Amino acid sequence: MAQNLKLLVPLHVSYIQNLGKSQDELAYHLTAHLRMNAIYWGLTALYIMGHQGALDREEMIEFVMSCWDEEAGGFGAHPDHDAHILSTLSAIQILIMQDALDRLDVDRVVKFILSLQQPSGVFSGDSFGEVDTRFLYCAVNALSLLGRLSELDVERTVSYIRECRNYDGGFGATIGAESHAAQVFVCVAALAILDRLDVVDQQTLCWWLSERQLPNGGLNGRPEKLEDVCYSFWVLSALSILNKMTWIDSEKLVSFILSAQDPESGGIADRPGDMADVFHTQFGVAGLSLLGYPGLVDLDPVYCMPASIIEARGLRKGWKSLPRKSL
Amino acid sequence: MANVQNQSVFYAERPEWEDVIPLPQYESVKPLAPIFYTPEYKDATDYFRGIVRMGEKSPRVLDLTENIIRQNPAHYSAWQYRYKTLMALGVPLEEELRLMDELAVKYLKTYQVWHHRRLLVQQTRNPAPELAFIAGCLQEDAKNYHTWSYRQWLLAHFNDEALWANELDFVDGMLDIDVRNNSAWHHRFFVVFQSGVRKGEEDRSEVLHRELTYVKMKISVVPNNMSAWNYLRGILDHSKTPYSTLASFVAPYCEAEPTRPDDSSKDIVDLEDPFPSQDAHLPCAAAIEFMADVHESLGGDNLKVATELWSSLASTHDAFRKKYWEYRIREAQSRAH
Repeated sequence: MAQNLKLLVPLHVSYIQNLGKSQDELAYHLTAHLRMNAIYWGLTALYIMGHQGALDREEMIEFVMSCWDEEAGGFGAHPDHDAHILSTLSAIQILIMQDALDRLDVDRVVKFILSLQQPSGVFSGDSFGEVDTRFLYCAVNALSLLGRLSELDVERTVSYIRECRNYDGGFGATIGAESHAAQVFVCVAALAILDRLDVVDQQTLCWWLSERQLPNGGLNGRPEKLEDVCYSFWVLSALSILNKMTWIDSEKLVSFILSAQDPESGGIADRPGDMADVFHTQFGVAGLSLLGYPGLVDLDPVYCMPASIIEARGLRKGWKSLPRKSL
Repeated sequence: MANVQNQSVFYAERPEWEDVIPLPQYESVKPLAPIFYTPEYKDATDYFRGIVRMGEKSPRVLDLTENIIRQNPAHYSAWQYRYKTLMALGVPLEEELRLMDELAVKYLKTYQVWHHRRLLVQQTRNPAPELAFIAGCLQEDAKNYHTWSYRQWLLAHFNDEALWANELDFVDGMLDIDVRNNSAWHHRFFVVFQSGVRKGEEDRSEVLHRELTYVKMKISVVPNNMSAWNYLRGILDHSKTPYSTLASFVAPYCEAEPTRPDDSSKDIVDLEDPFPSQDAHLPCAAAIEFMADVHESLGGDNLKVATELWSSLASTHDAFRKKYWEYRIREAQSRAH
């Protein structure tokens, strides 16, 4: 069993460092639309493991700025891509973690974000119009980080989230859509930022979230689905925000995440035996931080960024993670 | 689309593209890391950037964007520009939808495929054929989130009586294939309780009774199915029906070897309180939890029974969620004092 497994920090650091050097052309161009997010995931994971300097700061800032879409006033995922809310939030998060927010035209980016809100209160991801509570969270998170929440129509935003609440206490991507742990995270975190957790049926939702743990310790995103490391963060973050972390078996979950590590090349996969990627590496490490895994830096589950950075901006909410264990 | 067959030929070598100046990536920017694209992808996206710079919206743009999408279905700028081009050309969208039939199944997990489809159907205003198309996609992946969301959007957006007509039969069919399909259970709730009251469904107590009978029958066949228990709780909460009204149905599911009623040997199914099937794995943790909730809601001496049930879950029937059951016991005790 995985009882004696450890988090392979040096291996994961070099795994993330090597990502940008990948010569695997097919995988690389197929993920270009996630490049900005991937850098945010990699940097956050490094930060939580205490190695935030492992990637070159100047190069990273230059890359972020090269993705600025001058016409739209937001960031694309890649230098030639149109601005999108997902990459715009990632860019802002990276600039804040690198203490380089002075490079940003805050007024223009705020205008871009606000322009994406729909009459129903939800946000679209770009001018193409696809809507999703994920995009709503990105907007709320970004505006909060930039200190510009006062410009948001909070009532309209909250009312859309309320409409997405389902009979099991969870939230979906749009009104009428099935509850899904990732959508639960974005809705609960957005409500936390807006100080509107009263919208959550906490008893039912936390029960549903604790139901996500399977006998092997892993968490799934919906009933009767397979476990996946990324739900360690989606489920745990919501439980942490609602102060119910103790409702799940943390030791079993820690073992499950650790068993999904690639002990040869580094990185964490969705489940043991699968191929590692930066997305699951970040959310595995983030989950471990919330679970009090020894030696890790505290992660803020609301913003999914290092807790000290959020505290320094005066944005910390009332979440609780498990106490940090000693080495 | 005219030139799709010639995909192997680079745009740079096609005479009909001579007038476009390809725009390579990173004209002035040093990338964080060099990117090694396939020559085909680099060629197509160079020409795409060239086209976008010129603002051209012509039939050949449809060929070009289809080529890029086939190489990388997540290229959202290509999707966006393709849609703008379709609108500018004013071409009939049926052909585009047929192409999307193919691409949706191929790239089922790509957001853009579904969003593009939504935009097209909003233009054609012909939602009826979509239901069969969606049903086909769900044969490939019965729990695909995008596919189900698209169905819910389609029904709610057009909200046409004929569209809704066979939804319950459809859900029934999906649950026949896999009774643990949470997406199908969710969809059932969406259809019956979340989308307004349709003709023939005005008598809500009759509807509730029908749904209770339905979910009880499904539980009797496969008791250890969280999706069905969640549905049961959902409709009880929604209709503000006390859980205690279900106590006689739930009781036999809480026992390892329930005593079968005398007539259960005959082929008579009690629709109100269907008995667990012969091969059911009992006791069922979800039933014990439900029964504990019943006792908790009744209060008084029943709290003791609830606590015993939670203890049995913590120690035996659902031991890996021990912490949650202990929390329930503490909560109940603090309220009792």
